[in-house]
This record gives sequence, C-alpha cells and structure tokens, in this order.
Amino acid sequence: MATRRCLASLSRRHLRSLLTSPTFFNSPQTLVPQYLDLPILNSPSISSVATQGFQFFQSGSLRCFSSPPRKSSGDENSEEEEVYDDDDDDDDDEEEEEGEWEEDDDDVHTAKVSGQSGKTEAEKEKEAAEIGYKVIGPLDLSSENPFKPFEPVFAVVQIGSHQFKVSNGDSIFTERLKFCDVNDKLILNRVLMLGSKTQTIVGRPILPDATVHAVVEEHALDAKVIIFKKKRRKNYRRTKGHRQELTKLRITNIQGIDKSENIAVAA
Amino acid sequence: MNKDKIFKLAKGFRGRAKNCIRIARERVEKALQYSYRDRRTKKRDMRSLWIERINAGTRLHGVNYGNFMHGLVKENIQLNRKVLSELSMHEPYSFKALVDISRTAFPGNKVPKKEGLSNLI
Repeated sequence: MATRRCLASLSRRHLRSLLTSPTFFNSPQTLVPQYLDLPILNSPSISSVATQGFQFFQSGSLRCFSSPPRKSSGDENSEEEEVYDDDDDDDDDEEEEEGEWEEDDDDVHTAKVSGQSGKTEAEKEKEAAEIGYKVIGPLDLSSENPFKPFEPVFAVVQIGSHQFKVSNGDSIFTERLKFCDVNDKLILNRVLMLGSKTQTIVGRPILPDATVHAVVEEHALDAKVIIFKKKRRKNYRRTKGHRQELTKLRITNIQGIDKSENIAVAA
Repeated sequence: MNKDKIFKLAKGFRGRAKNCIRIARERVEKALQYSYRDRRTKKRDMRSLWIERINAGTRLHGVNYGNFMHGLVKENIQLNRKVLSELSMHEPYSFKALVDISRTAFPGNKVPKKEGLSNLI
C-alpha cells in the first residue's frame, strides 16, 4: 500500500491535466436531481460567526465567498443515530467471507447455516458493503462516460478506517473492496467534509446528504514486502513474502456542495 | 539462486557489500531487519509529521495543536491527522474554517495582553 499510495498522490496533479477529454461514460440521469438538493441544514449561530470570521479575507484574496452563510452543519449531532457511527465492526464481517465468495450462485444454492458465509443473500452482502461505507451502483457499460474535467472541489471521504481527501479525477488505493468488480460504480457515502472555492461544509461527523461517486479501476496487489526475522547467534532466520490486496478507485463526481465559483451578491 | 537474490537486494550498498557474497549477505540481512522494524516506526513517524504540520498551521491562526484537537473532539469532527495536515497545506481557507470551529467550541488559552514597550513588537 505504501509504495502505490505514494505514487498515486504524486501523480494526482498530472492525472488531472490528462483527464481533459471525456472518454467513456456519462453521469446517469438519476444523479442529477440529487445535485440540486443542497444541504438544507443551517445553524445560524455558528454560520454567522463563520461569515464574520472570513470577511477580512475578502480584500486581498483570490477566492470568493458566497454571501449565504457558510454551512457548517451543526445539526449533525441529532442525525447521527441513524447513520453509521461505529467503525469497530468494519472488517469483522468481511473477513469471514473470504474463503467462500460466490456471488452468482445465490439462487442455485440453499442458504448456508453460518450467517456470514459467502452464500449469503444479496441483501446481506450489501450490508457488509455498507459497513465499509460503499454502495455498489449498476455495472458500467462502455456507452456512458462518467469522467468529467477537473473541478476545484474536494471531499474528505472515509473508506473503512482510512480517510482520503479526494477531488474529481483522482485515483486512490484502498484495501481490497469486496462485492465489486472492475468497472463497477461505487457510491462512497461516508463523507466527512466538502470544500469548494466558495464554501466549506464540515460534517459532525459525516454529512448525510453528500455523496462521492467512484469507479473501480482495478483490483491489484501491492509490491512485495519481504518479512525477515532473525535472532543473532541463535541460528534463527525466517523469510516470508507478502503482497497486500488493493483496489484502485477513480473518483468521478462529488455531490452535495455548490460548485459555482462566483460570489453571490448580498441583497 | 539465493546468491543472485542477495546481490539484487544489495544494489547501491557501499564498498564490497554489493560485490562480495559474504559481506553482502550480512548487510542484506541487516537491511531486511531494519525494513521490518521501520515499517512499524514509519507509521509513528508519519503521525508525528502530521501533528507538526497541523501545529504549524493552527499557530498561524493563533491556536495551538492541543486546543485545536480538543475543539474538534468537542464538535465530534472525526477528521484524522493525515487529512488535517493535507488541508493545512493545500486548503488554507477550509483549514481556517476548521480552526474557527474549534476556537468557538473550545476557546483555550487567551494570548496575554502586551503592555508598554512590547506593544511595538
């Protein structure tokens, strides 16, 4: 993970310049209405303090600030009960299924006795997937191109126990995600923060209305690390090789924040 | 063969350690032991680097690292130090927003007022 993730972060800037021309896919129509539903949550006290705090930036700054108060969503506390707070049972369910993974045989085989074996129904697989904070959308054919040109919007998304600051067109390496193949569309629904040129939205801890869309680019193995243990003068030497399983995701879209770069004129 | 593997791992070593098998074997074993140990210390080092960077970023806004993290914890913001350090480097305005959120949640130590000639500094 170490070597691949370092390369990914270094080449992120270069990838943005390369991804100018659309190649395959379009964003599906169902996602467009969600874009219009901006987060409605407003905590007037915190947002007013935030706008006052930022007014001294307006004089000499390159960025523009919208006049609607900064939406630091302060109402997240009450809504956290329904969303996934616990990171503890992240990988517990996923690890038990590694030996018995057969997705297509749900209809053929009868239900197995052990609850979390690979023969569970599609619903249980989706539950396990959501514990890892991803939802599998439909498979993508080569008729649509979901890759848009770079937008200056970032999101902080959490997958499993790792957090990433992503933007449009980035590629990230995560731990191997189950239940998804290459060219699957994913929705990462554990979004901790959104930012654009005019707004910053901070979730406490997550933003329920924000989504980040990604496409699985490949399932790969990391570079080999050699695990070498030696005790001196005791004739003990052990060598082992290890390759971590990774998934490379390409971020296609960030939703939940206003992406326009203009100052909204105060009335 | 094993010798070739040792020499492949011994590329870039100093002096005879890259050419002579007896010396190379010792140095390669030591190198592998170091890499085993350092894969664990790398996680510690990265975390302390992130904390340094967050500290530097928050002190630009008059808040130190301890009070900043306390404020974030109070507000139930679960951003980790890796992402916070990236924000402090590349997203200064968003980081300032976080510092302000933390400051309202936990004011921390006030800067003592300067009196007399120290006002000129």
